[in-house]
Amino acid sequence: MSPLGPDDDPDRLYTVTGGRSRAAGSRFDLVTLIVAECEPAPGMQSEHVRILELARRPTAVVELSAALRLPVSVVRILLTDLLDTGRITARHPRTAARAELPEPDLLKEVLDALQRL
Amino acid sequence: MTAQTPARPPLVAALYAFLVALVVTGGAVLWAVLAGPAALRTWLAWGCGTVAVVLSVLLAVTVYAVRTSARHRARIADMETAADRLADETLPAVVARLRDGASVDTALGHTLMPADEAHRRIVETLATEVGRGERMRAAAMSACASAAGRVQALATSMLADLREMEHRHGEEVLGDLLKLDHTTAQAGRLADSIAVLTGARSGRRWNKPIAMESILRGAMGRISAYRRVRLHSSSTSAVAGHAAEGVMHALAEIMDNATSFSPPTSPVHVYVEEAQAGIVVSVEDSGLVMTETALRSAEAAVSAKTLDLMSLSGTRLGLAVVGCLAGKHGLTVSFRPSARGGTSVVVLIPQQLVTQAPPKPAGRPTEPDLPVAGLRAAHDAQAREVHERDAHDAGARERHSHRSDVHETGVHDRPAARAARPASGAGAARETTDHRPTVPDRDTGAARDGGASRGPDDPHGRSAPQDRGAPDVPAPRGAAPAPATEYGPSGLPKRRRGQTLAGAPIPQAPQATGRTRGRSHEESAARLRSFRRAVQGEAPPARPTTPENAPKDDPR
Repeated sequence: MSPLGPDDDPDRLYTVTGGRSRAAGSRFDLVTLIVAECEPAPGMQSEHVRILELARRPTAVVELSAALRLPVSVVRILLTDLLDTGRITARHPRTAARAELPEPDLLKEVLDALQRL
Repeated sequence: MTAQTPARPPLVAALYAFLVALVVTGGAVLWAVLAGPAALRTWLAWGCGTVAVVLSVLLAVTVYAVRTSARHRARIADMETAADRLADETLPAVVARLRDGASVDTALGHTLMPADEAHRRIVETLATEVGRGERMRAAAMSACASAAGRVQALATSMLADLREMEHRHGEEVLGDLLKLDHTTAQAGRLADSIAVLTGARSGRRWNKPIAMESILRGAMGRISAYRRVRLHSSSTSAVAGHAAEGVMHALAEIMDNATSFSPPTSPVHVYVEEAQAGIVVSVEDSGLVMTETALRSAEAAVSAKTLDLMSLSGTRLGLAVVGCLAGKHGLTVSFRPSARGGTSVVVLIPQQLVTQAPPKPAGRPTEPDLPVAGLRAAHDAQAREVHERDAHDAGARERHSHRSDVHETGVHDRPAARAARPASGAGAARETTDHRPTVPDRDTGAARDGGASRGPDDPHGRSAPQDRGAPDVPAPRGAAPAPATEYGPSGLPKRRRGQTLAGAPIPQAPQATGRTRGRSHEESAARLRSFRRAVQGEAPPARPTTPENAPKDDPR
């Protein structure tokens, strides 16, 4: 996974995070769903703008990381900023996602049917 | 009067004068002797004769002296002219030729050499010395330039490596990597400065416009006190790729000056405004107010047409570099006292370097792309986490092979995943939420094209994370059951890599349970049927398959 080419952006990650390398308090894991609570305002850091745009619908941290092409830890720092200013909300989808998963029985059924095809 | 004819040498003129005077005075003496009383004639003759001779001699000496001095004066005038020509024409011409890179012999050959032997020697000596100096300067410059170029290349590749590591490694080392990144960026700037001063090409070239925000951040990333820089920019413009590096570098030098000449705790504010003539970037510090002379000399330093190496003082290269870059890209740099009490440097980036920002290259990913991108990232991240946990006692070599393995899977994944996306990702999601009885043909067609024609390879690719033993990846969007990766730990039969679906262990009893949540058995059956219909809709029924139109790697 090397999204980096010779034409990468010139900004270094420490300028994106303002020199921080660790989010204060680990409130996000890879699959935490992020929901934007406001529209991006002019003058905001472009990554924040993009996060707010992407997170109009609930979006997982990894997805934001993939879309922004930034390491997850950097995205976490950016998200911490946004969360602290109340521009996003985060929720852990673990239980919700589990509940929505198809039952193993259904999956077995599908598998059987596929094998019968 | 005889002295008027300049061609005659002084001695001849003197003799001539002597003779003429002798004749004239002789005549006068004769006349006087004849006219005088006879008794005194002898005395008169002697006396007058002596006087006449003395007069003639005096006259001759005078004429000689006059002629000689005139001659000397003429010669001095000639020599002065020659010296003037030497100083004003010959030597500058020779030096100019040497500075332009001509060899000593060429320079001397193309110059009108002075007639005077001494002057000629002066010119030759000077040409040799200046030529040697020029050669030394050029050699030193090119050595510096090539060393700087190599350091630049090293810094660039190191930055790329660091960026890659920042992506690869987790939070524990990120701080250290960022520190290294920062130091390397500063080293790169120093190398860039030397390259600029030695006339080498500057750093790297970007072949796309760079957005203003990136320009500013790229600039502030290269200085040590970047945390003190506050950016105030809402500009959406971009700087043309060929000039971006130069602009960034110039701004970095200006910001570096601003941070180093202001109190170590005070912020440096950078404002961007778009004006008619281009983009105006002002860098304001709250340090010492520069005096009027200091401002003037700073402006002179940054607006010098050609670089004067003499103006470089020690380690303070900044303004000279800014001057070079400004000259190269047509930037206008001016200094003025800042309203905040410090100095404000205003840089005008001319309109011809300004374009509109391109859409972010990372792509505003189109909506359907998102789940795939997310899943891929999740896949990578999970694989990485697992790997990093495992890698504690594993050697570096193993790490490498593991990673390349991940890479391989990733690459392998892509076409199948993308092709099958509409059907198995978005399509399935839509279906489960909409409870639509049939699957649109288009979707399944896509599935067939991408997935079914690849036959059993498709599920193979998608289920790769399972093979890694990675924990299951919950669907990023809660509602959408992600594709095959969800099977994981539920006790369902796992298909190994390379195994076809048909070859997968068949559960002993296909027990039909009524416990399908939110969906009846019939509905499920109908959906499977419709899926099947869609698959077969475009291809001949599977049963009478001939070996030709059977999928290549279908074991049947």
